[in-house]
Amino acid sequence: MADTTGESPVQARRVGDTAIIYASDYLNKLSGERIERECKRQLESGSRALVINFRDTELVNSIGVSILMGVIDAAEQNKARLIFSDVNSHTAKLFEMLGLTRHVSLAKDEGEALSQVAPQKNAVGS
Amino acid sequence: MTQQRILANVSRDDFVGRDAELQQIVQQASRLTDRRGLVLQAAPGVGAAELFRQAYDQLFLRRGDPVPIHFALLRSDANPVDTARRFFQTFLRHYVAYRRVDPSLADAPLSSNDLIELALPGDYELISELVESFERERGASDQRDFVRFCLTAPHRLAAAGRRLFTLIDCLGLGPSKEEISLAQEITAAVAKSSGSFALAGLRRQVISLLGSDGGSDFTEVLHLEPLGDDDGRRLVDVLARRHEVQTNEPTRDLIVQQLNASPLFINELFLAARAAKRPLTSFLNCQRLYVDELMGGRFYRHFSRILDQVAPQPQTKKVLLRVLHESAAGEAHKASLWAWKKRLGVDAGEFERIVDALHVNELANSSGAFIEMNAESYVWMDYLRAHYRVEVAGEARAMIVATTLLDTLKRAPQTMARKYRREAALGLSELVSYFNCQSVPASLFHYDRFAAAHKGADTESINAELDMESDLIRLPQTIYAAGCSAYSDSISCGPERCAVAHGFDAADYTDENEVVWLAAEIESKLEASRELTEEWCNRLAGLARECRFEQVRLWLIAPEGFSPEACELLKERDAYGSSRRQVELLTARIKSEIGAADERADEYEMVIPMGTDTELIAAHAVEQIARRVNFRPEAINQIKTALIEACINAAEHSMSPDRKIYQRFRLENDKLVVTVASRGVVPANLASDNGHDVRARDEKEDAKSRRGWGLKLIQTLMDEVEFERVDDGTQLRMTKYVR
Repeated sequence: MADTTGESPVQARRVGDTAIIYASDYLNKLSGERIERECKRQLESGSRALVINFRDTELVNSIGVSILMGVIDAAEQNKARLIFSDVNSHTAKLFEMLGLTRHVSLAKDEGEALSQVAPQKNAVGS
Repeated sequence: MTQQRILANVSRDDFVGRDAELQQIVQQASRLTDRRGLVLQAAPGVGAAELFRQAYDQLFLRRGDPVPIHFALLRSDANPVDTARRFFQTFLRHYVAYRRVDPSLADAPLSSNDLIELALPGDYELISELVESFERERGASDQRDFVRFCLTAPHRLAAAGRRLFTLIDCLGLGPSKEEISLAQEITAAVAKSSGSFALAGLRRQVISLLGSDGGSDFTEVLHLEPLGDDDGRRLVDVLARRHEVQTNEPTRDLIVQQLNASPLFINELFLAARAAKRPLTSFLNCQRLYVDELMGGRFYRHFSRILDQVAPQPQTKKVLLRVLHESAAGEAHKASLWAWKKRLGVDAGEFERIVDALHVNELANSSGAFIEMNAESYVWMDYLRAHYRVEVAGEARAMIVATTLLDTLKRAPQTMARKYRREAALGLSELVSYFNCQSVPASLFHYDRFAAAHKGADTESINAELDMESDLIRLPQTIYAAGCSAYSDSISCGPERCAVAHGFDAADYTDENEVVWLAAEIESKLEASRELTEEWCNRLAGLARECRFEQVRLWLIAPEGFSPEACELLKERDAYGSSRRQVELLTARIKSEIGAADERADEYEMVIPMGTDTELIAAHAVEQIARRVNFRPEAINQIKTALIEACINAAEHSMSPDRKIYQRFRLENDKLVVTVASRGVVPANLASDNGHDVRARDEKEDAKSRRGWGLKLIQTLMDEVEFERVDDGTQLRMTKYVR
């Protein structure tokens, strides 16, 4: 069942082995680092997949995006899947422009993201 | 309705070519809040005295505050006492005339009693007291005290609560120290009283009138240059009508050219024509009258009066004529000061006075160790040649008249041809002076490419294709441009046809980026041949060597372009070559940019502190602005992101001393121009190459690199991105077009 993490300023919840982290309206250095910290915390606590939900994110800057590269690194090291969901078209183009989409999948929404991680979760968890 | 003349010599309608200057002087009188002085620096004979008289008339007839006073220093004043007395009386007379709204009093010979009797009841006591004090001081024995008293007139009127605007005309000031000293006293007396004021003087003399503090009371400077050709022609038409002298278009143009569009000389010529009842309908008629005036008429009197002042002793004047003539006859029209002093044989003080007087009257230019004749004035040079022959060489007068007339007639077509060439020229000096780091299509500087791509096409389609051209040349920032002849005599052509432009590539003020453009317009009816092109390349290269220009760019312009062989040569010499058409297209582009910059557009400015997400405030602001010209939502997001990145770059890289980001958002018809500036350190290799290195480097880096994406993002999101030169820090200009 899903739960909400109350220790971090970043909203997050767990769905099974999958952690869903909610990015704020502006992805900059500070909010990027918070997401990175939360993602690492979730990985350390056993999450096998990470979904970062950008439904509230209107603007991103290059520093915030560069920090996401740290999240990608951390996920790869932990052999966890990483999916970005609810990314608006402008932000999606920026991610593509900066090469992030070579390392991470984009999902239309949380449901699609969870369905994408399910086979892997099953493979690992069953 | 025609404006009434009071002090002016000509009606307002006939006063040509000085509308803006007249307006500025009249506006100066309207300044109510602060005490400000305007100084008019005039070239000789350009009509500055009439301008001041016109200003007086306009202020008088306009009514309201303040009371206009006009005082001109005259050579006819015998001594300082006379001048001071006239100063005092002029103040009272102009004051009374204005208060009584009676223009006829402004120039009337009024006695002290007349002034008292004419004073309005409200002014009676003040005028009576002033006149009584004046008469008392005049009767006292100390002349110095009397002069001092007279000069207090503006102060006394101001102290009584009267607002004045005083026009002081020092254009007729002589060269003596005493006259200059008195003019300084008068200027200081007016400046110390409350109210605005204006001072006119010859541009090479006026600085000495401003006193030891260099004129701290003068906050406005107005330069009065010679009339342009168009205004000169209008003046001829006006004078021909007024004096009922017949002219035609060719003679009108000749008069303007030969008299250097000088209102003084043109007016003198028409006065002479009227007196002699001579029509000016042929070159021969014009030159006959001209030579008459030169030999013993108005032109003669004008220059003789100046030379009499410069060298009052007949023997000195004779030697001076010889020295002047010999200096003018030399190829460079100049001689060493040392040689002059030796030839003139006068003491150091007198020599200095002579040279200074010639300099002030712009008959010669004294600079450093040389004295250079003003050879641009035909009238002065003709006078000098003729009177040297009369007064020094002792030639027969009839011979001099005949040969001068023959010479001026032979010269007339050449004078006109020079004018036509000047008008037909592209104006290279002006064009290169507009260079300011604009990026322009490279084909405008390579005739072969241009001919291959655009020959036979109409201007519209050429421009459309030029807009698409990706190969661009970034022009330097020109900091000074002048004609080649100003640097050397080795290339003889007008400043419009051959130009030297000093500047910096990318507006980067370093030795490495310092560059001199040498541009020349060459004459060739067909495509310029290799031989002609080589000859001009060599000439310009020779000029560069002579002037020790290190890094140069040669640019030749031929009306019909260059032959294939000539184009090859230009490539070999790393020189640019353009046809006249290419230059016209280039000029139109550059001028339209300047014009566009001058047009009033919707412009917003914003200053945000660095840090704490302040870039979001800027992003929200630019969103609102961008919506005003219907950018699509996606484009708005791109602009916002680019702006955010620019703000981050400014905050991260500049080491800004004030920690502020200065932004300007300029909306034009089809685009939004965003400028982001910050003070501080310019990141290495950023401003000089417009960040192209950064982009190239970024592209090579792995996408996983954590930072340095900002500029790359900006360049991708915006249509045009350019670092602009600023004195301190960086300024990034980003443009997005509405599509």
